[in-house]
Amino acid sequence: MSHLQTAIQVEHATIPPYLTALYSIKSDPQKSNLASYNIIRAVLVEEMAHLTLAGNLLNAVGGSPDLTRSDFVPDYPAYLPTGETDFEVGLEGFSPSAIESFLKIERPTPPTADSVVELEGVAYVKHESLAAGRKQGRGLLPHFNPKGDKGNDVLHYWSIGEFYKAIAAGFKRLADRLTEKKLFKGDAARQIGPEYYYSAGGGIFKVTNLDTALQAIDFISGQGEGSFGRIYDDGGELSHYYRFDQIRQQRYYRVGSDQPDQPTGAPLDVYWDEVYPIRPNLKVSSLRPGSELYRAARDFNELYRAFLHRIQDALNGKPAEFMPAVADMFRIKEAALRLIHNPLPTGEGNASPTFEMNYINGTSA
Amino acid sequence: MTTATSGSADLTRVVAPEEASSGTYDVVIVGAGIAASIVAHELSKEQGFRTLIIEAGPGHVMSQEGYQGLLETFYSAIDKDNNAPYVKNPNAEMPRSSLLKQLAPGETNPNAYWVQFGPYVSDSSYSRVLGGTTMHWEGKTIRMLRPDFEMRKRYGHGLDWPIDLDVLMPYYRRAEWEIGVSGEVSSQRAIGAEFEKDYVYPMHEMPPSYLDEVVGKDFNGMKIRLDDDEYELNLSTFPQGRNGVPNEAYKRWNDKKLFEPVGSVTFHQAEEGERCQGNTNCVPICPVQAKYDARKTLAKAVMTGRVDVLPQAVASQVHFDKENGAVKEITVKVYQDRDRSDHRSFTVRGKIFILAANAVETARLLLESALRGNLKLNERIGQHLMDHPYLLAWALMRKNGGVGRGPLVTSGICNLRNGSFRRKQAAFAVDIHNDGWGWVDGSPVSKLMDAVDNLNKYGPALRQELVNRISRQLLLAFMVEMPAERTNCVTVDPAYPDALGNLRPKIKLDVPDYSMAGIEYARNLSRLVFQRIGAEDFTSYDPQNYGYRTYNGQGYEIRGGNHLAGTHIMGTSSADSVVDSYQKSWEHPNLYLIGAGSMPTIGTSNTTLTITALCMRSAEAIIKDLKQYPAEIRSGGK
Repeated sequence: MSHLQTAIQVEHATIPPYLTALYSIKSDPQKSNLASYNIIRAVLVEEMAHLTLAGNLLNAVGGSPDLTRSDFVPDYPAYLPTGETDFEVGLEGFSPSAIESFLKIERPTPPTADSVVELEGVAYVKHESLAAGRKQGRGLLPHFNPKGDKGNDVLHYWSIGEFYKAIAAGFKRLADRLTEKKLFKGDAARQIGPEYYYSAGGGIFKVTNLDTALQAIDFISGQGEGSFGRIYDDGGELSHYYRFDQIRQQRYYRVGSDQPDQPTGAPLDVYWDEVYPIRPNLKVSSLRPGSELYRAARDFNELYRAFLHRIQDALNGKPAEFMPAVADMFRIKEAALRLIHNPLPTGEGNASPTFEMNYINGTSA
Repeated sequence: MTTATSGSADLTRVVAPEEASSGTYDVVIVGAGIAASIVAHELSKEQGFRTLIIEAGPGHVMSQEGYQGLLETFYSAIDKDNNAPYVKNPNAEMPRSSLLKQLAPGETNPNAYWVQFGPYVSDSSYSRVLGGTTMHWEGKTIRMLRPDFEMRKRYGHGLDWPIDLDVLMPYYRRAEWEIGVSGEVSSQRAIGAEFEKDYVYPMHEMPPSYLDEVVGKDFNGMKIRLDDDEYELNLSTFPQGRNGVPNEAYKRWNDKKLFEPVGSVTFHQAEEGERCQGNTNCVPICPVQAKYDARKTLAKAVMTGRVDVLPQAVASQVHFDKENGAVKEITVKVYQDRDRSDHRSFTVRGKIFILAANAVETARLLLESALRGNLKLNERIGQHLMDHPYLLAWALMRKNGGVGRGPLVTSGICNLRNGSFRRKQAAFAVDIHNDGWGWVDGSPVSKLMDAVDNLNKYGPALRQELVNRISRQLLLAFMVEMPAERTNCVTVDPAYPDALGNLRPKIKLDVPDYSMAGIEYARNLSRLVFQRIGAEDFTSYDPQNYGYRTYNGQGYEIRGGNHLAGTHIMGTSSADSVVDSYQKSWEHPNLYLIGAGSMPTIGTSNTTLTITALCMRSAEAIIKDLKQYPAEIRSGGK
């Protein structure tokens, strides 16, 4: 169950970076980044669907998704694993480096190195084989001590993809051991169906048995990384990785015919200058208390926290709360733009949302 | 052939005019609105039929970027009329209400596209762009009532249809799937609409707005007497072609699957438009494409590879075989630049020809063809022109109604769509406008300008002023029935050509006394409604307005409904009509005239849903016709 809670957190962790890059894009009809805007927006919408599906998985086995715990929103820059090392995911404006980091988030990473430890078909790395950065333990994924002959080694997931493989393996093992009926004991009324959530490349579905659970895991990991060596899935959808690759390469992939890394479709215009110059990973503590920006930053955090509480309620037996959450998202956008459109008095660029849930109006950490 | 333009890929399979002209098509369709798109899509489901669509407007709007361009044009337009997203195009111009002015009797306005003579001027319009008038429609998808099909027989006004509601029932259901309708069947049944047993709409109704709730609280249950019958009036929601929450109960009508709303038209995963966001900007153009438009259907058709589109091509003459009356070919004028009138003429050919250019333009094309070819065509072509005249009544409520939330209209008063009173006066349906007085005076922008420029308000006082003057606005829009009359008509006159030399439509569209009686009653009812809910009536009609018309000593401003219909009505024989119930010409064996022009009455239903149902039925007849051609000369699809 703790793995499923982590899955919800990992899916959420991509949302603030995507949102920040999205809202940093200026809307100049002449030099329009609309194509990039639409790509990031669509991926963002799908990440929220993944979060919801992960919630369905946890609810299916009788758990309670928690979006309000103090460590739910990471302290950016956050770190995600890929093999022995990890990479930094920060809050920054639309830029080549932001797209590079989005590509890293969505990239399929085949476990090929010598340091791989395989357990039930899932690739891990021993703690001692980790690079220095990953050893410091800032990552979002859990580590664990396997029982039996692997001894006292602490094992870490090779990548997010491997983490989902482990979840799938866990579901299969538990269904086998407990029977499906006992494993999927959650209240079906807590499941979010397609009537509540939309715009997610096929929509989301209820998880009530092993089949639908594995389908959900497949959907989450498949939509991001795609199947290896193929850019489109069976439904004709481009995976997130290749959608971002279109921005990097400034060209669309053509359905059916194109090979990975070689898009041959229409050109996709990107104007890296048509972006608000926001300061990456801004913190409330660097703003002068009482200033307008300080208040705006805390207002944003307050709104975002309320939004997470709303989703929390929706995933805990009140699916209808998804409806007002839509209005929340409009308010969040307005509050984000208020920051992004305004320069910092220090001359370090423009402000941006800090996503610090402990810095809100009324109370502070 | 290109399938991509700059930016994101465009879905349109645009062909060069040389290719279109030399190609062998099974079907040639003039127009790319909903009637054309429905038929093209039905044909494209069949293997082996190739269809060419001739579109007068530009072609590149079938992509996210193309649509964004329309939005930008709309945002920057000063006059936000129904055609504001579409740049002025003298080669394929369209009626624009912002260009109208009052005319003296016999005077005409050279700046307006329609040739109309004063004193009464209609501001009805349509869009000559890819997607047709669904590119500015509001999205109401109301079924016609059973009595609407037999108005002459039952009430002695208007005409009767050659078919009844039962014939259209299954097609209405398919049309509601294709458009993607959100609505509540039980509230439609309560006002006399008919459905199959246990039927529900694909999606739940658009939730009534806060304004609806505020009005309904005091209004619902109002009783009136009319023609010796008592009616209880209540608000009910309108079914709409706008994405809402899929209805679980619809699965039994959809192969056990939940309905999947169709969002924005794009080749890429845009994940946008699957739900209405309540931007209150439905007319002319939805910012997120949650409102249905015909491009959504056309996109499916062109994706099959069996449908080509020739844009910027204005059909100018239909040529007939002198022996059997069959259409031989159509001349089209293809222009490069909308600001330049130089063009080249091409001819296009097919086995079957379909004119789907809307009631006015289809009649205009046939009448011009008759004039240039010195032919005598069916004398009813162009006659029986109909529309829905609208009467507006506006007031300020005591309470804040939260104007500006939700789609343009969510609820209305539909209890007077039918009754014995129709022997004497027209029926009507009433909209409650969620955008306040926008249709009357350009609110909220006009009120903001006034508060800043004239009242010198700013800061909190300005905010308060706007709440006072906008949030309490209430606008009732009465959509009034109009029976067909032969004297209301489209004609052409060589004295009035457009930039390409095609003849502009000359329009006579007088509001008959039967409708005026309905309008007089509507104004009186609006007073009673305002009284009942305690709203202050601000309605006044300006004698200087181009739509001003008097009746029984009272004056009214009458607005066009953009529901133009009836110029090639269907009937039982060539003696009383232009087409049969399949919309096939009586005189020309390979010619179909499709769209609202075929409708002998339009009752109190916005025409689009019925057009869709009729065209789905016509498509079956067209496919049957096509299959009668010898198989060996049928051309294959790509």
